[in-house]
Amino acid sequence: MMAPRPVYPPGRLSLHAWRRRTNALALTLSVAAMGFGLFWLGWILWETLRLGLAGMALSLFTQVTPAPNDAGGLANAIVGSLSMVALATAVGTPIGMLAGIYLVEYRPRGALAAATRFVNDILLSAPSIVIGLFIFEAVVAPMGGFSGWAGAAALALIVIPVVLRTTENTLKLVPAELREAAYALGAPKWRVILAITLRAARAGVVTGVLLAVARIAGETAPLLFTALNNQFWASDLAHPTASLPVVIFQFAMSPYENWQHLAWAGVLLITLAVLGLNILARALARGR
Amino acid sequence: MPHSSAPPSAIEVRSTPKISVRQLNFHYGKFHALKNIDLDIPTHQVTAFIGPSGCGKSTLLRVFNRMFELYPDQRAQGQVLLDGEDLLARTHDVALLRAKIGMVFQKPTPFPMSIYDNIAFGVRLFERLSLADMDERVEWALRKAALWDEVKDKLEQSGASLSGGQQQRLCIARGIAVQPEVLLLDEPCSALDPISTARIEELMAELKSEYTVVIVTHNMQQAARCSDYTAYMYLGELIEFGATERMFFKPRRKETEDYITGRFG
Amino acid sequence: MSDKHLSSQFDSELNQVSARVMELGGLVEAQIRHAVEALSQFSLNAAEQVAELERRVNAMEVEIDHQLTTIIARRQPTARDLRLLMAFSKATANLERMGDEATRMARMVRSIIDSGAVRTLPSGELHVAAELASGLLRKALDAFARLDTKAALAILKEDDRIDREFDGFVRKLITYMMEDPRTISASLDLLFLAKAIERIGDHSKNVAELIIYLVEGKDVRHTTMQDIESVVQ
Repeated sequence: MMAPRPVYPPGRLSLHAWRRRTNALALTLSVAAMGFGLFWLGWILWETLRLGLAGMALSLFTQVTPAPNDAGGLANAIVGSLSMVALATAVGTPIGMLAGIYLVEYRPRGALAAATRFVNDILLSAPSIVIGLFIFEAVVAPMGGFSGWAGAAALALIVIPVVLRTTENTLKLVPAELREAAYALGAPKWRVILAITLRAARAGVVTGVLLAVARIAGETAPLLFTALNNQFWASDLAHPTASLPVVIFQFAMSPYENWQHLAWAGVLLITLAVLGLNILARALARGR
Repeated sequence: MPHSSAPPSAIEVRSTPKISVRQLNFHYGKFHALKNIDLDIPTHQVTAFIGPSGCGKSTLLRVFNRMFELYPDQRAQGQVLLDGEDLLARTHDVALLRAKIGMVFQKPTPFPMSIYDNIAFGVRLFERLSLADMDERVEWALRKAALWDEVKDKLEQSGASLSGGQQQRLCIARGIAVQPEVLLLDEPCSALDPISTARIEELMAELKSEYTVVIVTHNMQQAARCSDYTAYMYLGELIEFGATERMFFKPRRKETEDYITGRFG
Repeated sequence: MSDKHLSSQFDSELNQVSARVMELGGLVEAQIRHAVEALSQFSLNAAEQVAELERRVNAMEVEIDHQLTTIIARRQPTARDLRLLMAFSKATANLERMGDEATRMARMVRSIIDSGAVRTLPSGELHVAAELASGLLRKALDAFARLDTKAALAILKEDDRIDREFDGFVRKLITYMMEDPRTISASLDLLFLAKAIERIGDHSKNVAELIIYLVEGKDVRHTTMQDIESVVQ
């Protein structure tokens, strides 16, 4: 015995078939788009690995940048990058977070909040070379020379809007009931923000900071006008300071083969660092 | 008319009022959300507020712990007396008031911290307890909320790791831990399954011997099951207030009868 | 009742009303016992006690009804809770009617005593039926308390015996009245008395049917004995 065939109203089957075709087409297109993106990403990673691994050596981390056709490493650039990024993050994060907290918890509406958001949006989308030029005018020129401090300041200016935006967005996601529940116990506002709201948004805020770090780790333009470069160890940040992106820029453009090798090694280092930060940020975002 | 006179519904209420509402009006911006409310909430009883969405039952509840003050365009006028003292008065400290009047919300709101700290958070706001005393308090509150046996082995785990019903009981335990006198429940079971709901209703019956419980519910069967007194509200007005038994057998007002029998609208 | 609800208050309300119904059953049983005693010994004192109990029975019926209404309004009972409360409600009505019948018996006994025809009437013939009826109620209450459907089935069968006794008694009474028309008035009292006994049996039978309704969820009123037996199996 055959099972009775289900009977559908006329038109429904053809509509259904059309819907299935559309669905298949959309699925194919989006898979193709994903494949397109992955293809370039894979190629970039592959080229970076292929060319960068050749330059990988212990000397990379122990020796300073060499003269053309001489042996050397990237130690001064790595340390320079690390210290400027660390300083920029240390300065930019609290400012961005405090501003974000202000916008969500204290004055979500009003002219000041609107202005802050508008300025932040501009800062967020401003080309980084503009920020470099601004710091050049505001810091480098009055101080009479390029310095690591100026480089850190430029990077901090990039950190602030990123942290502010992510802080604001994640704090906004904290349900109002959670705040009310804390207030309902008689908790004062500062305690509610510190112990409840920020804690609930912790993973999101940390993710934002990590993404900001990843962003500034690869910035070249703002450093060109501020920290410039230094072929040797800089004793402190008061002097021009080498950084990975700027060294890569300089070495990759050069005709000398050993510099080009070092540039690729630097590219690999930055890529791995940024990749690592992104993965960490994702893991944190998922872990909450 | 003098504001301090008892409302007509008071004749049915035999126990002394814990909270007395006198000529209360409430505005959200220009919207008049509560109109001349007069009501006595009896001590050590469960009082339920029922009514269709937007009738003002939650608004009334949120006046009792001045939760509305968090939002700039909300205003309350009139008197709400807690043991005879106007809790709306500027001189009444809001933090101390909220320590006396605990609240549990519609959605379970475990704080992003361990089960233990969820309970201890509120206690630390008002009391300095030794570690041993705090342990004791946490256990006491969790036992009161009928949650201790389920969580005693995982107090350091996140409050969010519990099931919805357990989270809601955690929130009740958190409210009890600061030893309030009144417990406000704002639709505490609407996100819970029937078993968890029944647990919480049973909990209310146990808690009323020590606390005055006020529950807002859009489920009138729940009001019938677990309250001693019921207030029916509609469009910001208190239509009828009385003993639950009578309200669900022979309400005095036709509006009430239409609502509870499903002839509404 | 077995198995606890999550709401202990619901449990205690059910237990309370259940105890009340059983108490009412006990009162009605005592009423019937006194009525039977009044009949067998033509005792005015026993008849007086029946009337005394009637007031308490009536008050208790009202009280139980109020409790049942409250429980239904507040608890929205379902399934076996619903059947239990329905059964309580109907059993209460049946019990109160039995009380009324017992009161009627007592009134007839008094009327017969007043008529002075005590010695000559064949009232002895009624004792068997009266004992049967009062025993039947005790068994029905017992089966209700234990939710015993087998016992309920036995009660249904036993009620048929009372009905047969009643038919036989009516035939004898007719013969008696034809032999001596002067006793017709007293005989009619005796007929009403017999009818009251028969009604008590019927009410016990109703209670037994409620037990099956409560346990099995099947309404066995107005069905055949075979149907009922297949439900109880």
